[in-house]
Amino acid sequence: MSTALELRNLIRSGYQRIGQILFQTDVYGYPYIICHHEDAELSTEPAFGGLDQYEGPNAVREISTYAEDGTYRFTKGQTNLKRGWVVILDNEEDLRQAVDQFYPACLGLFLAQRDGTLDVQNLRDKLNRQTGMYRFARTVSDAGAQQLVQTVCGPAHQCAKRILWKIDETTPLDDSEASRFNGIVGDLPAAQAIPLLCREACNHFVAECRKVAKAEFEKKDGA
Amino acid sequence: MREALYMIDADEIYVVPDFISEGYFTQDVIPRELELTGPTTVVRGKTLHYCLPVGVHRSMTGLILHRAKEVAPNVNPAETTLIITGHGTGLNQNSTKAIRDQAELIAASGAGYAAVLDAYMEEQPFIAQWDELANTPNVIVVPFFISDGLHSFQDIPVLLGIENEVGPAASQRDAFRQNPHHLRSKTLFYTSAIGTDRLMADVILDQISDFDQEHKSL
Repeated sequence: MSTALELRNLIRSGYQRIGQILFQTDVYGYPYIICHHEDAELSTEPAFGGLDQYEGPNAVREISTYAEDGTYRFTKGQTNLKRGWVVILDNEEDLRQAVDQFYPACLGLFLAQRDGTLDVQNLRDKLNRQTGMYRFARTVSDAGAQQLVQTVCGPAHQCAKRILWKIDETTPLDDSEASRFNGIVGDLPAAQAIPLLCREACNHFVAECRKVAKAEFEKKDGA
Repeated sequence: MREALYMIDADEIYVVPDFISEGYFTQDVIPRELELTGPTTVVRGKTLHYCLPVGVHRSMTGLILHRAKEVAPNVNPAETTLIITGHGTGLNQNSTKAIRDQAELIAASGAGYAAVLDAYMEEQPFIAQWDELANTPNVIVVPFFISDGLHSFQDIPVLLGIENEVGPAASQRDAFRQNPHHLRSKTLFYTSAIGTDRLMADVILDQISDFDQEHKSL
């Protein structure tokens, strides 16, 4: 079944959220609309409560690239999606494209997890394949990496993805707010929200590992 | 990049690097990340075809000519030097080669420019000496980059003499909107990076078509 039809079925079975966005069906005759979940009430008022109206999935790029304060959203898992808009979509395929613009691949990752086909890559495997200037990141200690998860990941640091990976096959993440986060923004039951999933450490995390690895090396060197 | 396969329903995928030339990223990083082992690889049940990067395709010639015509529609090519400019760096000869190849293709194309030259930010011939490199009253400079950024917004305008110093004032569209620039006794036209041209979409399709011709026509 196509991802678009899977999404339609998910919505019919009660899913209405992913990340910070909310889906609604059959609003003022439009098959699907998406808005920021904090604008939910406005979106049900006449003329969408004054929210800026956009049509079609391509509009999402404009909405999701910069935060309200103008900063660039370098990872789409950041919880700084701006408010004040509604996107109108004609069909499930357009809806899927729009969701993939807000949260690239997150629908597919969720479906793969549900179906048991999701591959997760542990941190050591990710770091060990880096080349060039990021090669050095592989020397970061386990303790250094564990500390980074707590200082770089999770909702407290603006990332709304649930970490699925471990340090390596035999070393799980230390318990922390970041490691416990379930990928759902806000207090919603799991049956209503598609979780954002993190299957491998992102570029930002790898870059931070490199910095910590360098600091650890310099400390050892100077000692 | 490995997440990308999870968002694609199709069984057959063409991967086209949006890069200006071959090099570290197209030859090492992308194949590594996508787990490619050759021109065609099966990954997670999907068939991936790995094409050449857009910048090396011969149809970039048409884009450069299109952009030059767009920025300077009324100049006589016979009185104009077209300069294609790139970074130039000892680290990677491929990007310099891509620019040299384009300069030769355009010179041979019959577009009618008095001269078609390559020039660089960090290797000879230097773009900073554009007025000495050109013997014509008009000069068009086209940055051979995949996107606009620090080089085309800030560095090159300074090297050309359009701006006095690197800074935010030269950012965004200002550097490209005020053509022509009357500088150093010549008339200079400066365009935004070639990779921002709408026709890039066709170059992507051209690389896919070339892949099929080379690998599927047996």
